[in-house]
Amino acid sequence: MTLGQIIEKYKCNVYSRTPFNTGKEIRYAFCSDLMSDALMIMSTVRESGILEDSVLITGLATNQSIRTAEMLDVQIVCLVRGKIPAQQVIDLADESGITLIGTELTMFNLSGRLYQEGIVGIASKK
Amino acid sequence: MIAVDKRYDIIPNDFNFAGRASSDIKRTLKSMHFSREFIKRVSVAAYEAEINIVIHSRGGKAAFKICEDALYLEFVDIGPGIPDIQLALTPGYSTASEESRLNGFGAGMGFSNILKSVDKMDILSDPNGTVLKLKFNITEADRDENR
Repeated sequence: MTLGQIIEKYKCNVYSRTPFNTGKEIRYAFCSDLMSDALMIMSTVRESGILEDSVLITGLATNQSIRTAEMLDVQIVCLVRGKIPAQQVIDLADESGITLIGTELTMFNLSGRLYQEGIVGIASKK
Repeated sequence: MIAVDKRYDIIPNDFNFAGRASSDIKRTLKSMHFSREFIKRVSVAAYEAEINIVIHSRGGKAAFKICEDALYLEFVDIGPGIPDIQLALTPGYSTASEESRLNGFGAGMGFSNILKSVDKMDILSDPNGTVLKLKFNITEADRDENR
């Protein structure tokens, strides 16, 4: 599924102003409101290309979601439940080259729909 | 030869600035063409350590150095110290405040994430403060930005 299809299908607002590629293929996702969990699970991924093709789904509309994505090389953050990010969060996303989008869907419903589309969840590697 | 020597202030309880030092460390490593995997390892450990100071301390500093084949990060804060280091290292154990949890932290995974990323970790702590030293060995593969 491409980023453009996700934005269109789930009626996402695009908050960041940095230009992005609507044709970018999204193959993986991880969802959490706990950034420690995102760091723990996503940092175990060793194969290159996986995190770069991932979306971080979260209800946490703060700078720390952007920082976490930045540390992990995740380029897209999707806010759920209609959370609207503050201007400073949008500014940080632009500065870090992160595409910040948001949907009215809940975390479960967005994740379920993406899963149905073939997007794979990132799991911990022991 | 010391190739990098940078220092950062870490402000307690300021979740807007939290991550600024780690972000600069990451960008510096990127500009030096280290491998993505190495950069991620260092960035995740730096970020967790920085967040620890924001959440738990009265403020502190970070130092970032690259000397020959090793990268060192040193985090020093001015207290109140970690009363039981073994307990703090236990995955899931957390004393974080409600505000930290609202910012997505305080899951008690900080030190676990750091330990997974580093080659060596030392902690020295008493009520005057905590010193956390992290060492990352740099191999030939880590210097290859295509990896």
